[in-house]
Amino acid sequence: MLPVQLNGIKEIPDEILDSVKECVQNTFESISGDRPDFVMQNGNEKPMNGIIGSINVFNTEHTLSMMIAIPKKTALAVSEVFCGMELPFESDDMGDLVGEISNILAGDVAASVEKIGFVGQSSLPTATRGSDLTLFLPNKPPTAKLKFVGTGGEFWVNLALSESRRHK
Amino acid sequence: MSKIKALVVDDSKIMRSAVKRTLDQLMMADFEYIEALDGEDALQKFNDEIQIIFLDWNMPKMTGVEFSQEIRKMENTDHIPIIMITAEKSMGKVDTALNEGGANAYVTKPFTADQVFKVLSRFIDKDGNLIQDTEEDDKKSFFKDMLKFK
Repeated sequence: MLPVQLNGIKEIPDEILDSVKECVQNTFESISGDRPDFVMQNGNEKPMNGIIGSINVFNTEHTLSMMIAIPKKTALAVSEVFCGMELPFESDDMGDLVGEISNILAGDVAASVEKIGFVGQSSLPTATRGSDLTLFLPNKPPTAKLKFVGTGGEFWVNLALSESRRHK
Repeated sequence: MSKIKALVVDDSKIMRSAVKRTLDQLMMADFEYIEALDGEDALQKFNDEIQIIFLDWNMPKMTGVEFSQEIRKMENTDHIPIIMITAEKSMGKVDTALNEGGANAYVTKPFTADQVFKVLSRFIDKDGNLIQDTEEDDKKSFFKDMLKFK
């Protein structure tokens, strides 16, 4: 089981944050050959114009939601290394690519957090294009925003750890 | 050398393209591709001419493992190699795909051409023909490889 009891927590446990950071770096290194650095946020981040891939790792008790926010410049660079050609930012293929990157990351995260007691499965990914996207979650679960910078540019991974919805 | 009919099943067009591109680049055989968007679509497109299947796990409508189980229920399908190409990496998932799903081999995304080559070498000879799986205990070989990377 997780060393930290998840019920009633105010912050996402460090064990999960560390797992996700490592998985993000591994995933992007596998895709691009370049290991992105985790950087501290300065609190003055501008609204992002880009694309967000969303996916959940969940079990009956908890849901770890992950949103990978990729600015346009970074998305174009990632598409070039993943597909061998730069995909048009507005294309369906770009959404498909970011969804697939989310899927790969979730697979890695699911395997990693399983080792610390969070046994779950991945949902299907979705991708959303837009600017200044803000996520609202019911009951204000603990969240975290992780920033990474690689040679292709910067990107963020937003996390939320909430109770899974139960059907009554 | 006749073409090998390969069913490529993935809900991501990008990944279907990546699989086909990698197989073409490896030049281990001459492939003719039939693409399917999910397990349900694959089941409709499956016929007795399909000789090898490259299969994603996490797809809408019908998962890769469900599709694989359906295929293995059919007669005369034991000889068709089913190669899972998926983002699912936990040991439990690998075990499910190989033992309960009836898949023959497992490749995790993002894959390299070398990884695909190594797996395909078990099913395709140097002349580009399909052969019986050359590894008796293929399921254990995946776990052995996984442990090597730890």
